[in-house]
Amino acid sequence: MTQTSNFLLGLGLHAGAHGDDPDWRGFWGGLVGRLDGVAEFLTLEDRFADPGQDGLDAILLANWLAPRSRQIGIIAGAPLNFVEPFHVSTAIATLDYVSEGRAGLLAQRLGWQRSAEAGRAIGALNGFPAIEQPSLDSDALAAIEVVRRLWDSWEDHAVIRDVASQRYVDGEKLHYIDFQNADFRVLGPSITPRPPQGQPAVAVSWTADADLALARAADVVFVPAAGDLAGMAAKLRGDGPGKEPKLIADLHVGPDGWDASDLAAAIRTSAAQGARGVRLILPDPHRQIADVVDTLVPALRADVLADPPLGGHLRSRFSLPAVRNRYAAAA
Amino acid sequence: MSKKQIILGAQFPGVNNFTVWSDPAAGSQIEFSSFRHFAESVERGKFDFIFLAEGLRVREQKGRFHELDVVGRPNTLAILTALASITRHVGLIGTLTTTFNEPYPLARQLATLDILSGGRAGWNVVTSPGAFTGANFRRGDHLPFRERYERARDFLETARSVWRGGDFYASSPHFDIAGRTGWGPLPQGAPVIAQAGDSDDGRELAAGHADLIYSRHGTLEEGQTFHADVKQRLAKYGRSRDALKILPGANFVLGETLEDALEKQKAIRLQQVSPKNAIVFLEQVWNRDLTAYDPDGPLPDVDPDVAVEQLAQGRAARYDNRLETARAWREVAEREKLSIRELIIKVTARKQFVGTPAQVAEEIDRYVQADAADGFVFAPHLTPGGFDEFVEKVIPILQERKVFRQDYAASTLRGNLGLPEAWQPVAKAV
Ligand SMILES: Cc1cc2nc3c(=O)[nH]c(=O)nc-3n(C[C@H](O)[C@H](O)[C@H](O)COP(=O)(O)O)c2cc1C
Repeated sequence: MTQTSNFLLGLGLHAGAHGDDPDWRGFWGGLVGRLDGVAEFLTLEDRFADPGQDGLDAILLANWLAPRSRQIGIIAGAPLNFVEPFHVSTAIATLDYVSEGRAGLLAQRLGWQRSAEAGRAIGALNGFPAIEQPSLDSDALAAIEVVRRLWDSWEDHAVIRDVASQRYVDGEKLHYIDFQNADFRVLGPSITPRPPQGQPAVAVSWTADADLALARAADVVFVPAAGDLAGMAAKLRGDGPGKEPKLIADLHVGPDGWDASDLAAAIRTSAAQGARGVRLILPDPHRQIADVVDTLVPALRADVLADPPLGGHLRSRFSLPAVRNRYAAAA
Repeated sequence: MSKKQIILGAQFPGVNNFTVWSDPAAGSQIEFSSFRHFAESVERGKFDFIFLAEGLRVREQKGRFHELDVVGRPNTLAILTALASITRHVGLIGTLTTTFNEPYPLARQLATLDILSGGRAGWNVVTSPGAFTGANFRRGDHLPFRERYERARDFLETARSVWRGGDFYASSPHFDIAGRTGWGPLPQGAPVIAQAGDSDDGRELAAGHADLIYSRHGTLEEGQTFHADVKQRLAKYGRSRDALKILPGANFVLGETLEDALEKQKAIRLQQVSPKNAIVFLEQVWNRDLTAYDPDGPLPDVDPDVAVEQLAQGRAARYDNRLETARAWREVAEREKLSIRELIIKVTARKQFVGTPAQVAEEIDRYVQADAADGFVFAPHLTPGGFDEFVEKVIPILQERKVFRQDYAASTLRGNLGLPEAWQPVAKAV
């Protein structure tokens, strides 16, 4: 039996309403306690404007989970088309401070129906995209660019506390990002200093109908395990070795149980095709989480996933390259 | 008659010159450990709430980033939600603008904070300065002053419809939205609403919609005048005088003796108004480059420049009549023989309670019993330990005087503030 080495195991959950259980704190507090030290990372999908399913804001939930955990990476979702990139950038930077380098952003692409509902929930506004797929996709790319530039808009060590010159900050180390496209403009700099990871990991869930540019803009790409992983890996490598985003294979864990050896086989295949890890998607975590943690994960560890979670900064766990600040003068 | 109970808010020292960074005891403004220290300290002191201000653009002076004061802060809602995770009783109030947010996303974030804190969320509603801050947001436009308050009012009504849970709907001049959420009634029904506007429109918004006012009228007489003005506005909205609490912002300095405290106060004010910062404050009124002037020398002979655009950007307080302000400042400086720096230390001071712990406690109590305030939002000058001594020495005296809680009595912020437990729709002004 071959075991993969250093292969990441994550879980995919959503922050929306889970049945009628009103004990949100009990559920999420218990869940993160169980998962910390067991799974490498957690993705929290935001059910923004999903009628009846809409629940917690995923980035805020992530900030609540972070102080209650020590090791698990927390990748929080946001529907970038419908929110302010400036607020998303500072909230994820804050998550990175609170979690001491375990933060990621899941840039969510909503389907057309969900987009129409989200558009209805925020209203028709200047500076937001039209509810048409091409506008939504190009807007998401723009928003990711803004979020990332804002993270770089403070150089490391911008805060100098220099009593002699009476200066708290070195203004030369703050930068306008001056992003502008046909729809909106963001000047910057951020109000939040550069987060511990520099660039928290940006992830997207990619399906074949989406623009490849969206996957290229990300650090981590979730793709269905049953899809053409090897082909996808080849497409993404276009940017040159070392720069391409890491692929994570999505495996759905059905609400009515699973076959651990089937899942182990799928994990082996994914690893062979170039995935960096797997994400187990749980549609009904309320009912599933206990079994997954107590039975499924130990079975997968015994069978295929040799290593316990790595810990450390989330970027490094995905083997992402070190980041350089685009605004810092070359040393 | 039993004495009025004092409400205490704890402002995290933020982006302004009151936060002293040059002191060896000054810690990080951004690491979570600072926020943890601060929150644990004020919760130990049974404070009603933690309070965060907002500024969504790095401040500028003469077209350059303002370097002399603390700058850099976390996202307000994100850090408050993180603090909800490590505290159990203290309220969490964030300042958030209605100008660069939209009702549905912001209301659901506040709902999230209320749910995850078990009913401790609060929102200080501000209407924000204009285009300078707008440059960081999708809808970069800004609104004329009057419309900002109309929008704020509509915004609050729309947010309330989202907070009710289930179907929400708004059709007003500013918002046309609809949808359905998946949460039931929030722990507090709705977050506690605070308001900090000072204009007539701001006061009306508070009288009709707010639970708290964060005011700048901290002296005894100004406080009483403001208190009376706002409380008399409540009746026409069908609200009782207890429905709105008035909390001026204030500072404190503690010492072994009064003299010791006054010495410390002097040293702190010098740290807060560095020589260069004194010039920057003067430039806000004179609206010209004054870097050539000696901070320890007299005021400039020249008058303010009223022809050109404002040099200082991103500050909450502005001097609308520069010529008049300059004339008044000159008079003070001449009468009291003050240098530029001494003058600025004097004219930019906030209400400060200075003395021994017993004197400070007594004076706070006196102000509250005299209806100059219902309590205060204190901002210490140091991060993160600025409240430690206050909690250790002043709080027990307030408790002995039976004007401050021994322990939290309710599980929600609303309950601890003595506000009606469930939010009641507010009648429109007649
Ligand atoms: C004590 C006090 C604190 C304030 N704090 C903030 C703040 O943190 N962020 C902000 O954008 N505006 C702040 N403001 C501005 C006001 O909320 C309001 O938007 C502004 O004063 C304009 O309205 P007005 O003319 O009614 O006062 C503050 C105002 C006061 C009086």
